[in-house]
Amino acid sequence: MSEILKHGPLVVFGATAVGGAIAVVLTQNVVRMAFWLILSLGAMAGLFFSLNADFVGTAQLLIYVGGTLVLLIFGVMLTASGPFVSIKSSAGDLVKSGVAGGLLLTLILITACQVHWESTPAYDEVGVMSAGYNATADGNTTRPLGHAFLGARPDKDLGRPPTDHLSPGYLLPFEIVSVHLLVVLVGAAYLARAKKRKA
Amino acid sequence: MNFSDIINTLSADTRASLPLFGPELILIGTIVALLLVRLFNADKYLPGSIVAIIGTALALARAAAQFWMMQNQTSGSAPGIQDVSAVGPFPMFTGLLLYDPFTVYFRIFLLLFLLFVEWLTVVTGIPDLEDAPDFYVLLLGSTLGMMLMASANHLLMVFLAVEMTSVPSYAMVGFLKGRKSSSEAALKYVVYGAGAAGVMLYGISLLSGLLGTAHLPSLAQALVEFGRTHTSLADDAAVRTLAFAILTILVGVAFKLSLFPFHFWCPDAFEGAAAEVGAFLSVASKGAAFALLVRFCLALVGESRTGGAPLSELYMNIGVALGFVAAVTATFGNLAAYTQTNMKRLLAYSTIAHAGYMLMAVAAMMVILNAPGGGSLPPSVRIDRAATCIQGLLYYLAVYFFMNLGAFAIVALIRNQTFSEEIADYAGLSRQSPLLAACMLICLFSLVGLPPFGGFAGKFMVFASVWDAGKLNPLMWIVLAAGLINTVFSLFYYIKVLRFMYITPPADEARPVNVPLMSDAGLHVAFVTLPVLALGIFVNWLSELAQNVARWLL
Repeated sequence: MSEILKHGPLVVFGATAVGGAIAVVLTQNVVRMAFWLILSLGAMAGLFFSLNADFVGTAQLLIYVGGTLVLLIFGVMLTASGPFVSIKSSAGDLVKSGVAGGLLLTLILITACQVHWESTPAYDEVGVMSAGYNATADGNTTRPLGHAFLGARPDKDLGRPPTDHLSPGYLLPFEIVSVHLLVVLVGAAYLARAKKRKA
Repeated sequence: MNFSDIINTLSADTRASLPLFGPELILIGTIVALLLVRLFNADKYLPGSIVAIIGTALALARAAAQFWMMQNQTSGSAPGIQDVSAVGPFPMFTGLLLYDPFTVYFRIFLLLFLLFVEWLTVVTGIPDLEDAPDFYVLLLGSTLGMMLMASANHLLMVFLAVEMTSVPSYAMVGFLKGRKSSSEAALKYVVYGAGAAGVMLYGISLLSGLLGTAHLPSLAQALVEFGRTHTSLADDAAVRTLAFAILTILVGVAFKLSLFPFHFWCPDAFEGAAAEVGAFLSVASKGAAFALLVRFCLALVGESRTGGAPLSELYMNIGVALGFVAAVTATFGNLAAYTQTNMKRLLAYSTIAHAGYMLMAVAAMMVILNAPGGGSLPPSVRIDRAATCIQGLLYYLAVYFFMNLGAFAIVALIRNQTFSEEIADYAGLSRQSPLLAACMLICLFSLVGLPPFGGFAGKFMVFASVWDAGKLNPLMWIVLAAGLINTVFSLFYYIKVLRFMYITPPADEARPVNVPLMSDAGLHVAFVTLPVLALGIFVNWLSELAQNVARWLL
């Protein structure tokens, strides 16, 4: 039972990531492809989280799942007309992409096999890497970042004399950037919308 | 400190900072109000321009009150602002921004300019009622970035402020939709801006990586430590990396200032954008970029401002390099302006040239603070002379505010009546509209730097500080000579415009220009031009103010 609990998330996320990736290749409708890609990349983030690599997981969510896919969806929605809605690849394309993908797979496999997994820090009983992490400090890869965005820097200021100034925290940029985004979105909306015809 | 101490100090710090951040907060509130007014369809009764003007006026009043309080707090103890330690600069938001007279001076400068530009847009009718909220949101958002630029105390804020200034101005340059030149200008501006921002970010990460901090005062301390261990300039990889990092950050600033190798966007952007936007970009964004440049240079020099600092040789070389960039920029701007036939393009090149003149003041400051042979001048004299450089820069900016805005306003008003911005179409203006012609004459003569106008006083102060720097480093004589020759040369192309206005008879089919004094357009132009004259005659008041502000900084 504990085995299932330990490896369950890993298996589920891993299967989703791989399944989603295969589905991307097999689907021919661009919008569906984008959806499968979200699933695959999101599951990848889940894998990182289940390995306690919060920061990488967050970055994966923000940059790939969030940024790239919003861009993709927008791109798909704006260009999805006529011949581009469904993609049918010719035999030549299949061969070319198969060769490129196969080479990449070989490279990754060779790299993975050459690591001496016995000599790297092993999984301990709770499924957590022993070096650098512990269960009580779960989430300690993003906590300093979160504190810094709220303006406090316990990573720098703990234990300093109470009369000292605080180290610079990033509350102001975190907040002011939202104003910036608002302004920029208004500008983008203005440039994108058509001018009303005067009656 | 334990964790609860940190949180308590943080909350106290934030509560102390927010009132000082008042003008910016009011601008943010105005941006939201502009959007809400349109959301509830109230902009038929309450146009966006009115909301923007009210908000800006409130922010300006707040900033002016801050300045007044600052003056009073200090002049109580001693005449002038002598006692710097009485009310030291206050770091806002855990040291990300700095609240000092320099910050408040630039807040007032930028907000007052914003108010004038808003007034101008009401007079000229760009933007129309439908687009007004968008336009003013962009305008206010950009100004917000500039105010942050002037008070930045941390490299992250420097970058963020530069981006907050630039990105809305890209959209403003392309604001006139459906015109090819406008979209093209905006695209050029975006591409250049993105490149410059990338280079600047590279420099920032290099510098903060090298010194382990991005907080400007800590950076200065780290630089002193760095200077102790790395003494030789020539063959130390770390020093070269440092120089490279500083150079790339300066590239970002140079783009905002449209200095010589990074000026290509400027004429195209100004020609494609509406004249109102051109005025905003040429004055406000230049002013903020100069504030940032002065802050950055002083952060490099750090506390030891009397020469003899470990890396002072490097800093002095930076000063001389800035001087040469300034000389080349002024020369290039003036030479290129000579062949222009479009008035906005001519003003764009004149803007480039003026950025060159103003940069000379910063260069002189760096040379004076860092020239070797600290024995030849007592430290207090050095500080005095460096303060004079900043004083000259501040005065120049104040005059530039009015004379450039005046010129752009007249271009916009003539465009509204003749639909042309070509210099040749200004023929016979002095007979059709003596007011506009006379105001243009004052603005252009002031841009040249002729004596009764404000431009002369500004230029005189800047050249005087370059003279001071020349006594410490002979290379600055070349810069001074370039500045003087350029001043003479610039007379020719400004005169060319005036020749069309006053001597050439108008073409028969030309559309007449009719702007009497007693109209909102006439009053606006008169109001903008009068200070140009006043600042040339009554120099004392503003120059003393500028001197006090400069003294605070050093």
